[in-house]
Amino acid sequence: MFKIALRSVLLHKLRLTLTAVAIILGVAFVSGTFVFTDSMKASFDDLFEDVNSQVDFYVRGTSEFGSSAATLEESIVDSIRSIDGLDVVVPSVDGIAQLVDKAGEPIGGAGPPTLGFSYLPGGEGLSPLDIRQGDSWPTEAGQVVIDAFAAEANELSVGDVIDVITPIGVEPFEIVGIATFGEADNLLGATLAVFEFEEAQRVFDMEEMISSVSLTVGGGVDRTLLQASIADLLPDQVEIVTAEEQTDDELSEVDEGIGFINTILLVIAGVAVFVGAFIIQNTFRIIVAQRTKELAMLRAVGATGRQVTFMVGLEALIVALVASAVGIGVGVLLAMGIKAAFTAFGFGFPGGPLTIRARTIIVGMAVGVIVTLISALLPARKASKIPPIAALRDVATSAKDLSRRLVAGLIVTSLGVVLLAVGLLLDLENAISMVGFGALLTFVGVSILAPLFARAFARTAGKPLPRFAGTIGRLAQENAMRKPRRTAATASSLMIGVALVSVIAVFSASAKAGVAEVFEDDFTTDFQVALDGFSDPRFTGLSPALTDDLRQLDELSVVARMRIGEYRVTGDSAEKFLLGVDGGIDQVVRLEIVEGSFADFRDGAALLFEDEAELLGVGAGDSITIEVPSGAMLDLDIAAVFAGDALGAPLVVTMPTYVEHLTFRLDRFIFALKSPDVTESEARAAVDAVAGPYPNANVTNTDELIGDIEEQIDSLLNLLVVLLGFAILIALLGIVNTLVLSVSERKREIGLLRAVGTTRKQVKQMIRWESVLIAVFGGVLGLVVGTTLGVATVAAVGQGLKVAIPSGQLITYVVAAALGGVIAAIPPSRAAAKTNVLDAIAYE
Amino acid sequence: MSTAAARVAGATKVFGEGEASVTALDDLTVEFEQGKFTAIMGPSGSGKSTLLHCIAGLDTLTAGSALIGEVNLGELNEKDLTLLRREKVGFIFQAFNLIPTLDAAENITLPIDIAGGDPDQTWFDTVVDTIGITDRLSHRPSELSGGQQQRVAAARALVSRPAIVFADEPSGNLDSKSGAELLGFMRHAVDEFGQTIVMVTHDPNGAAYADRIVFLADGRLVGELLDPTADQVFEHLKSMGD
Ligand SMILES: Nc1ncnc2c1ncn2[C@@H]1O[C@H](COP(=O)(O)OP(=O)(O)OP(=O)(O)O)[C@@H](O)[C@H]1O
Ligand SMILES: [Mg+2]
Repeated sequence: MFKIALRSVLLHKLRLTLTAVAIILGVAFVSGTFVFTDSMKASFDDLFEDVNSQVDFYVRGTSEFGSSAATLEESIVDSIRSIDGLDVVVPSVDGIAQLVDKAGEPIGGAGPPTLGFSYLPGGEGLSPLDIRQGDSWPTEAGQVVIDAFAAEANELSVGDVIDVITPIGVEPFEIVGIATFGEADNLLGATLAVFEFEEAQRVFDMEEMISSVSLTVGGGVDRTLLQASIADLLPDQVEIVTAEEQTDDELSEVDEGIGFINTILLVIAGVAVFVGAFIIQNTFRIIVAQRTKELAMLRAVGATGRQVTFMVGLEALIVALVASAVGIGVGVLLAMGIKAAFTAFGFGFPGGPLTIRARTIIVGMAVGVIVTLISALLPARKASKIPPIAALRDVATSAKDLSRRLVAGLIVTSLGVVLLAVGLLLDLENAISMVGFGALLTFVGVSILAPLFARAFARTAGKPLPRFAGTIGRLAQENAMRKPRRTAATASSLMIGVALVSVIAVFSASAKAGVAEVFEDDFTTDFQVALDGFSDPRFTGLSPALTDDLRQLDELSVVARMRIGEYRVTGDSAEKFLLGVDGGIDQVVRLEIVEGSFADFRDGAALLFEDEAELLGVGAGDSITIEVPSGAMLDLDIAAVFAGDALGAPLVVTMPTYVEHLTFRLDRFIFALKSPDVTESEARAAVDAVAGPYPNANVTNTDELIGDIEEQIDSLLNLLVVLLGFAILIALLGIVNTLVLSVSERKREIGLLRAVGTTRKQVKQMIRWESVLIAVFGGVLGLVVGTTLGVATVAAVGQGLKVAIPSGQLITYVVAAALGGVIAAIPPSRAAAKTNVLDAIAYE
Repeated sequence: MSTAAARVAGATKVFGEGEASVTALDDLTVEFEQGKFTAIMGPSGSGKSTLLHCIAGLDTLTAGSALIGEVNLGELNEKDLTLLRREKVGFIFQAFNLIPTLDAAENITLPIDIAGGDPDQTWFDTVVDTIGITDRLSHRPSELSGGQQQRVAAARALVSRPAIVFADEPSGNLDSKSGAELLGFMRHAVDEFGQTIVMVTHDPNGAAYADRIVFLADGRLVGELLDPTADQVFEHLKSMGD
């Protein structure tokens, strides 16, 4: 058996190669993801361990969750210094500082943070930063050290003077040095600005305050005792931790970021593997069908059905083992590629060799082998059912298959839909995986049903073909119809990619429509000032100095801003966003107060979104207790309950309350209303003039703002489409594979066509049209499934979204699928055109 | 000369190289008259099929020339050969003559459709009628008997009024009755419509339908019979065997 299986693999090298490619790509993506993220993690582990190995203890503000910590009074440094046994005591101040390039454009800020640090002489050994040879640390006001990536990418060097945006405004600084994080030019895309210690306190608006203190202990000191005695000195919301704890905390933050990248890459890898499974299954099915006579002959000479199944399975195993091994190799290359791409796009991470763990190899092999074996299972079972008589004549497949298919398809599809609905509608913990699994089942279900409409589709969609491509078109149409299962299975793999892309398109169109609606209906402002481009609200923002400047303008009657912070209700509940807002917010945003009164919204009071109020079972007049990131508990009186999507956060407090309890010092959004006695353009000119010096501030009116947001949504959409393009590529390989196999199967026919005068060009045309029909079938299936899923998701998510179907875009996808079909047809049509007439008509 | 529908002169076809090479046609010169039914006979491996393939433009000669009408096939490129086959040549093979996805009528008009022409409806009806498959036109090949399939193939070969029809053992897979019907039809096409047909056959009874028989052995012309009867063919074959 093994010998026959191995022979068969070698004999069918060509057809199996394409199957192998599907496995290789899937496995490569999975193992590449692991290698990449493992390497990234390992290099961070090294870096932080290295850095913190110099330090013994850190005194820092507590941070129970979220990304900000409490700040410390500077006076704490002196009381720590008074303790015996300490060697070095270095306080530091951290904040957010965004560099501005020579052209006046802000650097970074679109995603990764723009970090600012302080430098105190004597602290260099304790810093994660290395300063470049010959450069100096900042020792005076007006000096800055920046990261090597930002320097290189923006052609900045020592001696240049650049603007830096900080909480106190925009000021020029002279670059005195360029720093690196170990071998990395930056940390995952974060930009860096280091200031002299007191200067840092000034620009971060932290006079008399610090962020943390690094301590080293002298020899022969009892550390536990020392730690305890320092801990005694510390006020609430300040703690002392060992360097190891600090390392763990820092790593867990980085791991969160890496984990996110890991998840995204693994999801795409999963889609690729899933699509690959369709192709593998289809290939094996076709091979089994083509070998019916051979397998029946084996049966005739005494092989049992089980033996035949075993043989086909063994073939699959051989292919899977070889392809998975190759896939892991390709995965390592892929990881190097991703790493290079990340570095090129400015997301640097510390150097170090690629980390290839045993887990990566095991998972890669397991994925490849299991997916292949499962995919080959059905065809192998089918092979066992081939009766010996099939060796002698053609045995028709029974029609009973059809109704069974219908039932099976409907059951699986409904199961998928139910899971989807449950995941989307009920507030469950593992909703995401439920939705994912539901989508997966839906795809499988639809692919089971697809053969039932494949014939009808080819008949309808292919109708115009005979008219403009004549008999060639007619033949293409017939060919697409003759093996509906094959056509459908091939189209299904494309369906998945197109469906996912369609879901995203529907989602983003709905988001855009929702944004437009919210802004048009709920905002009464004339101007908004927001950050340029996409950004993480936790890591970047507008300098509050801008609001102060705007308030000086006579042209404006109201200037109200928003800050974003994090909170949770109890220790184990979800973290949510809260807003800090200036008075006057009610004049720029249409708050739909459903209970209580805005007049009661004072310091220490809160506005609560109606869903949140319902969730907590409270209403206006009640009070709630929330926890802020520092761990402090905060009692708030509920002034009013509001509805509508305008604020987009469940909880709103006044700006003074925010400042008192949260440490983030930058603004997210500024709303302004012009004075009644000036024209809109006068007011705009005044606002533009004030905002001009703040390079990261983007002034808009409502229409412009909607346009900006739509643009951001589009660019996100495009990114996802590009990533999913990988799955679509694999699906196109599937079309190539199917058609190559079909062409070899129809060698005689094609030879006959050639004999009676069909030109090579016409043969190619015939294959091309068949390919296009398959591709369009997949595209249309994907469109239908994707749009349905997309609309359902949008409807289920609801908040801030308004169902919209981007028909133009969706049609583009089908057209693109058709073009993909044309491209996929190239190899099989070449093979078909090469068909040797004499071989084809030779009577065996 | 002008009456020849097709001919080969000094035709040599060698398969393979060196030790293993086989000379299938050996300096063979033969012509096929216009409006006549010619049969080619000879032992297995004597080069009959090879001759047919080469003169029909499906294969190329190693040396010598093959002409259809006045067109020298050796001077045509692949595309022109295809077009020539489409316009001037009809085929009936021993098996696998039909496209399974097309029905009988579509199979018959296939060469015309591919060329983008319009079939001559009266001629189509005449052919289909003569061949006796009028009531089977909308059936697919899988729904036709072997004899019917071969007759559809014959109709296809005739319907575009090619200059010459080549048939390689067209009745080889048929029982004697179906075979006789097919050959009778071919004879009819020659007599009534002036069609030129060249047919390879092993069957002396079949060969007797022809106006002329040429005998091949080892790729060479070894004999000829005009207006043969089956007995004469038997005689001739026997004498060749000796
Ligand atoms: N493609 C090929 N490659 C090598 N040799 C070939 C090829 N085609 C034919 N031959 C050889 O050429 C010779 C003539 O073959 P051909 O098929 O013309 O014989 P035939 O007269 O048609 O025989 P049959 O009556 O068995 O059909 C044979 O010896 C055959 O083995
Ligand atoms: Mg032959």
